[in-house]
Amino acid sequence: MAEKDLTPEAGAEGELTLERVNVAPAQTWNRLRTNDITLTVPAPSRKGDVYFSLPRLFEGVECGMGRAVTDWVESQAKGARYVEVPRGERREEPIVVTVGAGEVADTGVMVRAGAEATIVVAAGAGEKGGEAGTSASLLRVIAEAGARVHLHEYVSAGADRQHLESVGISLDRDARVDVRQYLLGGGTVALGLACDLAGERARVDLGCRYHAADTEVLDVNEVVRQRGRSTRCELSYNGVLEDAAKKSLRTTIDLVHGAKGAQGNEAETVLVLGDDVVNKTLPTILCDEDDVAGNHGATIGSVSPEQLAFLASRGLSREDAERLFVQAVYEDALMHAPCPEACAVVEAVADSLLDEEA
Amino acid sequence: MSEERKRTEVADVDRSLYDFTKSEEGYERYADGLTPEIVRAISEKKDEPEWMLEMRLRALDLYHAREMAPNWGPSIAGLDLDHISTYVSPKTKQAKSWDDVPEDIKDTFERLGIPEAERESLAGVGAQYDSEIVYHNMREEVSEQGVIYTTIEDALHDPQWEPVVHEYFGTLIPPTDHKFAALHYAVWSGGSFVYVPAGVTLPYPLQSYFRLNAAGAGQFEHTLIIVEPGADLHFIEGCSAPKYYEANLHAGAVELFVKDGARLRYSTIENWSKNMYNLNTKRATIGADAKMEWVSGSFGSHVSYLYPTTIMAGDRGTCEFTGITFAGATQDLDTGCKVIMNGADTTASVSTKSISKDGGVNTFRSSVVIGRHADRARCSVSCQSLMLDDISRSDTIPAMDVRNATAQVGHEATIGRIADDTVLYLMSRGCSEAEARTLVVNGFANPVSKELPMEYAVEMNNLIKLEMEGAIG
Repeated sequence: MAEKDLTPEAGAEGELTLERVNVAPAQTWNRLRTNDITLTVPAPSRKGDVYFSLPRLFEGVECGMGRAVTDWVESQAKGARYVEVPRGERREEPIVVTVGAGEVADTGVMVRAGAEATIVVAAGAGEKGGEAGTSASLLRVIAEAGARVHLHEYVSAGADRQHLESVGISLDRDARVDVRQYLLGGGTVALGLACDLAGERARVDLGCRYHAADTEVLDVNEVVRQRGRSTRCELSYNGVLEDAAKKSLRTTIDLVHGAKGAQGNEAETVLVLGDDVVNKTLPTILCDEDDVAGNHGATIGSVSPEQLAFLASRGLSREDAERLFVQAVYEDALMHAPCPEACAVVEAVADSLLDEEA
Repeated sequence: MSEERKRTEVADVDRSLYDFTKSEEGYERYADGLTPEIVRAISEKKDEPEWMLEMRLRALDLYHAREMAPNWGPSIAGLDLDHISTYVSPKTKQAKSWDDVPEDIKDTFERLGIPEAERESLAGVGAQYDSEIVYHNMREEVSEQGVIYTTIEDALHDPQWEPVVHEYFGTLIPPTDHKFAALHYAVWSGGSFVYVPAGVTLPYPLQSYFRLNAAGAGQFEHTLIIVEPGADLHFIEGCSAPKYYEANLHAGAVELFVKDGARLRYSTIENWSKNMYNLNTKRATIGADAKMEWVSGSFGSHVSYLYPTTIMAGDRGTCEFTGITFAGATQDLDTGCKVIMNGADTTASVSTKSISKDGGVNTFRSSVVIGRHADRARCSVSCQSLMLDDISRSDTIPAMDVRNATAQVGHEATIGRIADDTVLYLMSRGCSEAEARTLVVNGFANPVSKELPMEYAVEMNNLIKLEMEGAIG
């Protein structure tokens, strides 16, 4: 069947409409409005300039938000940043990508065989962190055989801000990546991550914690392609939604033909605390191989009356109990922050939520 | 290493029971394709009220105007309506005794076991052959309770029931629903009208059986069931067709109205042949304290789009969906269900199983929508898929949309083959490996087969032919 033309459409003057962003590999009923998100971004403003771009090798890395966002970021970013971690080297200093309001970053990281690196994307930090506008980060990572990558993503855009975060990771044999995502709110936060477990025994462990309140929109699309034999994927999502927040989470575990011995697991827990919350989830498993195991589990709901009764017996009101769940997200984010830039992202929004002890 | 793991062999669906054809000589067969003239001819033949003809013609326009979503499911590119006859009818009138049914048609249904089932365990039977119902009968004691079980055509000609059909027909599945719903309303023929008065419980099920004998034809039956408050009905639907090399099409519609405090169990065993495009639409709306139970077995067809939908409009309603799908060679079955929970304290439970082998493709699709007013709604969805070889495919695409803070939704899905440790455990308890694997596969299908009426459970087991002995490796 014919694919829809994804060429960005020109919107109002100075704006560009990106349709069908964050599209999962398999679709559900269009009338559910879960399959994708449409975003309006600033139109590319420069013409005729030549900027540094990443090595062509990175063009082959699939990114979670899709081609239209990749093209837009490449046209908006003031150059691209390429970092290479030499073979066998353990890089102590994290590779930090900070993205303030209105800023667009294009980053490529090559982690050579046996090397280890920590990458931090901190969106919300910087002098202009609280301002309106659109910010974006495009991160592509290639990890060669046996490499280890620790990726931390911290996002807390302001209420009037839109943040796009597109990540693509390619893992060779025995390479591993662990991803920690803390999505701590923002007018609209759209995040897409695609991870290609191309080599044998490659592995991704992803933990995502999020909190959205007021009328914030959170749209997440994460795709793991398990192509190598005995690859492993562990995805865990845990979030709190308040007020009239809207969240869409699309996850796909794609067990590709030939990935014998592969295992893919995904679990999601959503705490719904607002009467006007909209929580959409599309957890997909695609399986083209028999000698594999794919599992998914989801629990969506509020604090149970039994739990509340127990907490009440310890002197906690319903509000106190619910506040604890929210605080836990931020405290966890602070505890695992690998660098000051990541801490700054959390602290910018968490002051009112965390007590002094935290 | 992993590729050395043993596979569990399950024989393909044995279709010999269904793969016999009867001559179409003397049948009335309309020209292939879809034109206003054909639609008018069908309506004229049925001597329908004017409103029905208008509905058909509107639906025809909709069919031509609507496009299929480009991002949807298995391809139906092999389906060409210009080579499908939308109306084929044997030269016979509807009978109330099997003795009055033409010999070749009677033989067909006897081979399928319908008259025997009627004698033993059914309150009433309808049998459709191609586009028309050829046999319809109901036990007298059921009729005396005020239960109506007839064809839509007969109901339309009954002054008592024509207004009821007019009130309900096409309201739950409107012609605007999707392209093939529009097609259905343009050319529908046959099917059943069931009305169960308030408080009446049927001791035995009603059953309609649909047989498509003609090659290159479509079957477009419409089932309309109204279960009044406090009533209770079990309705069974069976369908089959012989195999041809031309594409056949089934685009039926099932509209179920389950009123307050009523219960409806709708069981389906679908055995269409592998040249069939099964693009069927089923939908139920249930009232307060009502219960809807779907039991669905999908074994045949080349391509299926089948997602029975339950709209839980009233408070405290209950919905259960139990389904099994078996996809073998050349089959691409896109099945699942939809639940829309709008009432408070509603409960829904979805449990599906699928088996893929010989290159068959199974896609489980579901959507659970919990509306703003569905306080304390509870829903659980479980989907288990068994892969029996590495040339088949199985996908699960479950969507959840929760808009109520007091609702609880749980979902689980698993895909894979029989786990070695499960087999090992059973072997440590004294089973041979073959017995262990047989136990696991039988146990996999058992939750569905136990929900089916006995004769259908036996039929399902015959279909899957879980012949495990000597088939390991």
